[in-house]
Amino acid sequence: MEFVQNFPFFSIILSLFAGPLCSILNGKWAKRVNLAVITIILAMSSAVLAFTLRTGDSYVYMMGHFPAPWGNEIRVGMLEALMAVFFCLIMLLCMIGGVLEREREIESTKQNLYYIMVNLLLSSLLALIYTNDLFTAYVFVEINTISACGLIMIRQNGRTFEAAIRYMIMSLLGSGMLLLGICFLYDLTGHLLMSNIKEQVAILNASGQYHMPLLITVGLISVGIAIKSALFPFHAWLPDAYGYSTLSSAAILSSLVSKGYIFLLVKIFYRVIGFDIVRDSKIINVLFVFGVIGMIMGSISAIKESNIRRMIAYSSVAQIGYIYMGFGFGTELGMIASLYHIISHAATKSLLFVAASGITDASGDSTDFFDLTGAGYRNKLAGIAFTVGALSMVGFPLFTGFISKLLFAQAAVDSYHKLLPALIALAVSTILNTVYFMKTVIRIYTPEKREVLAKKQYQVITMKDQKWKSAALVCFIAINLFFGLYSEPVVGLLERGLKIFA
Amino acid sequence: MNSVILVIVVLLPFLAGALVPVLPFKNRRQMMVYVESAVLLNSVLAIAMLIAQPQDSFVLFRFTSDLTLSFRLDGMGTVFAAIVSVLWPLATLYSFEYMKHEGHEKVFFAFYVITYGVTMGIALAEDVVTMYCFYEMLTLATLPLIMHTLTREAILASRTYLYYSLGGAAFAFIGVIFILVYGSTPNFIPGGVLDLAKVGDRTNLLLLIYVLCFFGFSVKTAMWPFSKWLPQAGVAPTPVTALLHAVAVVKAGAFTVMRITYYSFGTEFLRGTWAQTVVMIPVIITIVYGCSRALKETHIKRRLAWSTVSNLSYILFGIVLMSPLGLAGALSHMIFHATMKICSFFCAGSVIYKTGREYIHQLDGFGRRMPKVFAIFTISGLALMGVPGLCGFVSKWNLVKAAVSSENPLAYVGIGALLVSALLTAIYMLTISIRAFFPEKGFDYSTIQDVEDPNWMMLLPLVIFTVAMFVFGLHSGPVLSGLESIGALMR
Amino acid sequence: MGALIILSAALPIIAGALLLLSLTAERRCAKGPAREVAEPSAQKLRVLHLQVLVILSISALLAMTAAWSGEHEITLFELIKGIPVYFHTDGITCLFVTLSSLVWLLSGIYSFVYMKHEGKEKRFYGFYLMSYGVLLGLSFSGNLVTMYLFYELLTLASMPMVLHNGSREAIMAALKYLFYSLCGAYLGLFGIYFLYQYCDTLAFVPGGSLNLGLAQGKEGILLLAVFLMILGFGAKAGMLPLHAWLPAAHPVAPSPASAVLSGMIAKAGVLATIRVVFYVVGPDFIRGTWVQTVWMTLTLLTVFMGSMMAYRERVLKKRLAYSTVSQISYILFGLSVLSPTAMTGSLLHVVFHSIIKCSLFLIAGIFIFQCRKTEVSELAGIGKRMPKTLWCYTFASLALIGIPPASGFISKWYLAQGAMEAGVGAFGWIGPVILLISALLTAGYLLPITLKGFFPGREGAGLSVENQEPVLRMLVPVAILAALAVILGLFPNLLVSFFSQIAGTVM
Repeated sequence: MEFVQNFPFFSIILSLFAGPLCSILNGKWAKRVNLAVITIILAMSSAVLAFTLRTGDSYVYMMGHFPAPWGNEIRVGMLEALMAVFFCLIMLLCMIGGVLEREREIESTKQNLYYIMVNLLLSSLLALIYTNDLFTAYVFVEINTISACGLIMIRQNGRTFEAAIRYMIMSLLGSGMLLLGICFLYDLTGHLLMSNIKEQVAILNASGQYHMPLLITVGLISVGIAIKSALFPFHAWLPDAYGYSTLSSAAILSSLVSKGYIFLLVKIFYRVIGFDIVRDSKIINVLFVFGVIGMIMGSISAIKESNIRRMIAYSSVAQIGYIYMGFGFGTELGMIASLYHIISHAATKSLLFVAASGITDASGDSTDFFDLTGAGYRNKLAGIAFTVGALSMVGFPLFTGFISKLLFAQAAVDSYHKLLPALIALAVSTILNTVYFMKTVIRIYTPEKREVLAKKQYQVITMKDQKWKSAALVCFIAINLFFGLYSEPVVGLLERGLKIFA
Repeated sequence: MNSVILVIVVLLPFLAGALVPVLPFKNRRQMMVYVESAVLLNSVLAIAMLIAQPQDSFVLFRFTSDLTLSFRLDGMGTVFAAIVSVLWPLATLYSFEYMKHEGHEKVFFAFYVITYGVTMGIALAEDVVTMYCFYEMLTLATLPLIMHTLTREAILASRTYLYYSLGGAAFAFIGVIFILVYGSTPNFIPGGVLDLAKVGDRTNLLLLIYVLCFFGFSVKTAMWPFSKWLPQAGVAPTPVTALLHAVAVVKAGAFTVMRITYYSFGTEFLRGTWAQTVVMIPVIITIVYGCSRALKETHIKRRLAWSTVSNLSYILFGIVLMSPLGLAGALSHMIFHATMKICSFFCAGSVIYKTGREYIHQLDGFGRRMPKVFAIFTISGLALMGVPGLCGFVSKWNLVKAAVSSENPLAYVGIGALLVSALLTAIYMLTISIRAFFPEKGFDYSTIQDVEDPNWMMLLPLVIFTVAMFVFGLHSGPVLSGLESIGALMR
Repeated sequence: MGALIILSAALPIIAGALLLLSLTAERRCAKGPAREVAEPSAQKLRVLHLQVLVILSISALLAMTAAWSGEHEITLFELIKGIPVYFHTDGITCLFVTLSSLVWLLSGIYSFVYMKHEGKEKRFYGFYLMSYGVLLGLSFSGNLVTMYLFYELLTLASMPMVLHNGSREAIMAALKYLFYSLCGAYLGLFGIYFLYQYCDTLAFVPGGSLNLGLAQGKEGILLLAVFLMILGFGAKAGMLPLHAWLPAAHPVAPSPASAVLSGMIAKAGVLATIRVVFYVVGPDFIRGTWVQTVWMTLTLLTVFMGSMMAYRERVLKKRLAYSTVSQISYILFGLSVLSPTAMTGSLLHVVFHSIIKCSLFLIAGIFIFQCRKTEVSELAGIGKRMPKTLWCYTFASLALIGIPPASGFISKWYLAQGAMEAGVGAFGWIGPVILLISALLTAGYLLPITLKGFFPGREGAGLSVENQEPVLRMLVPVAILAALAVILGLFPNLLVSFFSQIAGTVM
């Protein structure tokens, strides 16, 4: 066994222990440790990715040298490695981009608490990506929930409290259902290790025994994760949580946290229950319908918003709807489209949040739509970044959103029956996205009237003023363009990874 | 000639335009010279390319192994590219004089030149994905031009334009996907690329997708019920409205519809089906609707914009006849209407530029003081009406010839619509001329004492267009033969 | 010889255009916001009149030579692929060319005096000459598209004459003329498109060139197309339902313009109808169909309605305009019956009506010019002041009513006979009855002027008896026309045989 293969385990442990470490450091050092940890893990994950690409297969890693079914296992393939690399990258950029806001909005005594939460969050995400064991998955789901809650709440004002509470309630509800589902599975199959469960489920399905309980189990698990990842109609907690928390929290929550749960769902579908059984259970039809409705309703709510952060948050609801629609097709193409969209959306949404904060900085910190007039001229980089993000959301060629749209559409054409609703929903959703995103783009490039400018005295922000944020924005734009223009290798990787995922 | 010229004429304007805000010009005149030279150089290269007719394609970029951005020149592309490359330098010349009064010229001319490249990209696209990408880019490149004056009206107009265009592209996208999946190749081949074996018995689905795709692309042609954006965009400076909304943007929309009908889905597949009927109906409605709105409109540029709405549907009518003659007729009207409409817009622009007057009722008696401009305007009005001897008659003749020989009863209704439209065109164009030349007895000319003909930079393009209208009207043979040979490629 | 055709038509057009251009050039140099040009001196005016007269005479000479010296043709460039601009002379051409030249020359001489009243002579003569040239071109046209080209140009060239005096009424009337004519032209164009597809050629061939094989199964749409053409070209001829421009345009136009408008330009509609029905489609195609029935109905309705409206109208020029509406529909009725005799009658009536109506309008103009009287009621006792004029009026009226031996009688006779022997069912006798009623009404609206003019009775008491006869240059053309109206009726044989021959070749 090569040294590289230990890296996933190291990543999880490192971030897990960095958490308590930050509790004894002060804010400045905690920040540095945090950034260092993320960077190291990024490097390690890249090495793992290179390794899996080389071998072309996934491997199983036993933790603590206890064999199954008692010990803990993690499994590493191309798909997992890619996700790990990507999540680390985005988290790094989000943390860099949100530095200023954290210094401003969090009390100095509580700064290090934030970094504890972030480290825990990172470890739980990595664990969810790599784990091969349902129980571990559940534990880290809970850790994820708590740290996410902390991330929301760290900026102390009434709104975030309310948001955190709402988030907590909904999330725990979801976790509860997930736990129920896991218990049923354990009951039915007697195993907690994913591959073992799958064998048993296959046997059960073939014999026709316990058909109803199995169905209910799949349903519980799906709904539980759906609640946690804010699928319509379980999305009510999202706008507040993303809208009012500090910048890096919003960015991380929207790009990574919900995606972690979705990835877990994919894993459960493929590795625990078996995709054929899932498809036959028709649960994917339910997901499809909610996904499509979410696509439309999310955008409609976004149009009604006049707070730019909440508008972007509602957009997330719509985008998560896209992902579930992709699941709903029940085909390999659909899965690949959804997986790609996980990556694409993560990159774009975090870009939008950071860019939006740049715009609001140049508008006296107001997030109200009308105060943003002309912001594109006051903070040029943020304006361009926001435009790039908006165009990507709309599905403009050259950007990653276009590739997502293309993949979804091709998946739709492939599945004859869901074809028409999916394509029409795609088209309508594009139009709706255009309405609120391009409206904003036009507004930030409409010059403000002189009287208003004189009164409000907005600050003009150049790249030099906010070095870290500008660097983050440039990186985000580069990532977006990269995926827009060179998506083929990534899609190929997803395809291969999915094949060996089960 | 090497096929790399294809990509040069597309990318050179991008480069030249992007440099406009950056280069240090000492004065306005320098910038003017730079822009005009860039545009002229590109046009010269384009025309050389059109004469040399390179046969190979050029792949600029690969998204994936089957999705590429690639260019190739064929008959139809030649026609559109020719229109664009001839008209752009003339329009640029005109706009120099015009934009003297406006401001923020650098950004304006930057995007103006970039749009040239984007339009050439649409003309030279080899496959449907390339065309779609440049189609989307066209919306974005022209947006700052509409928004230019940054007044409330302009912002609203640009928003409407954006929503309609991107919305239409969203539905057109569905068609693009289907062509990719059900076609043997994404490239444009005369007669269509649909793999009928793959289609199987899903004919109705494909027809439905064609209808959606048609509607999606036709938003840019301002077909009813998507006409609202075009007259609103009249708020932009006249060179923009004239060039873009009489020539580039709307003709690009018609061009894309031509491509998907004749070169992607294929007329053999579409002719005689319910899809043809469904798309023909709004086209015929638009022919009359555009003219009746033009009649009610009293703002000059908006009246001409509604006239464009109607005339674009003449082109669409030729397309939906789905026959070789129909395509030839549509192409001829594309060329001739561009000439006529850009001429009318420039006349209107001269009036607005010289006197600031934008409404029809303010133009009484102008014929005496701006005789050249109004004489040319009258000629363009006669051409639009279809008086024999001018080019409008020829293109109308070809369209109707195609309609009559199609023996489709709905096409006969279309012929009636065309003639009703001709009558309405006569009314809304000639009343302007008559009021200008024959104001009521006792009209006080001292109210328009300051009115005068504009200088050579604005008059020269007008004269050139007038000559063109007569030449096309009296000697259209060679052009028509060329167009009919393009049409004959279709089965 | 073909070049003569081109020359005769081109000469007046170019001359007219040059006149207009020189006017524009003068304006460019003029001062003041309106760039008004000073009224020309008497000397300049005389030169202008001479120029116009010379051009008219030369063109007339050339045109008549070209027309009467046998069949000629000349093809110019191709307007559309496969359709050239093509000129050809035949019997119909001779008729129209001669009539046009006569009417234009005589009205022209008259107008030299009349236009002193109106002013802006240069503009008027520019369009007057251009209209003449275009009408010649129309008469010489050898195929449908050439004819359509000149038809459109005729509307455009004659419209400025209608709005000459620049009043709001005149502009409105001119617009009405323009749009009714254009509407009619486009209806005609609709038909031309279909005939292009289904006829062997669009050139004029006696008896038509409809390809019955091609047209198999398409009769419905073809009949509709022909019907729309008849309606459309009938607009210029003042046939219901597109006749409304005529009564509006005539009162406001200067009298010489009204004369040529009613005299010849309205006949362009007749010419177009003849060409379409007899030389492209062929009368056999529409004989017995609903097209013929509706056409006959419309013409008879127009005949009746026109006369009724004329009877009730008080403004003289408007009364004459309604009379034109009615009378031209006599001609169209004769054509619609589709029999050789009736066609002879129609062609005769073309000649007679042109001459008569021309003289009547010129006389109406004299009343306006000499005494400023426009309404019929004001003309009591006019005979005492201008006896010669009124005698000319009387002769012309008698001819129009159809009192033998004046010319109108001959044409009406042929029309009635043609209707009766054509085998068109009820129309065979309804037609002549309506013609008779109309004749009575005609008498009713024309003769009272004569009677009240010579025998004013109580109304004439106290009126002056000064001589208000117009000068010779105005009186002589009128007299010539009135005389012709009577003489042609006394010696019609040449005309009758000429027209019978034409009718024979097409049916």
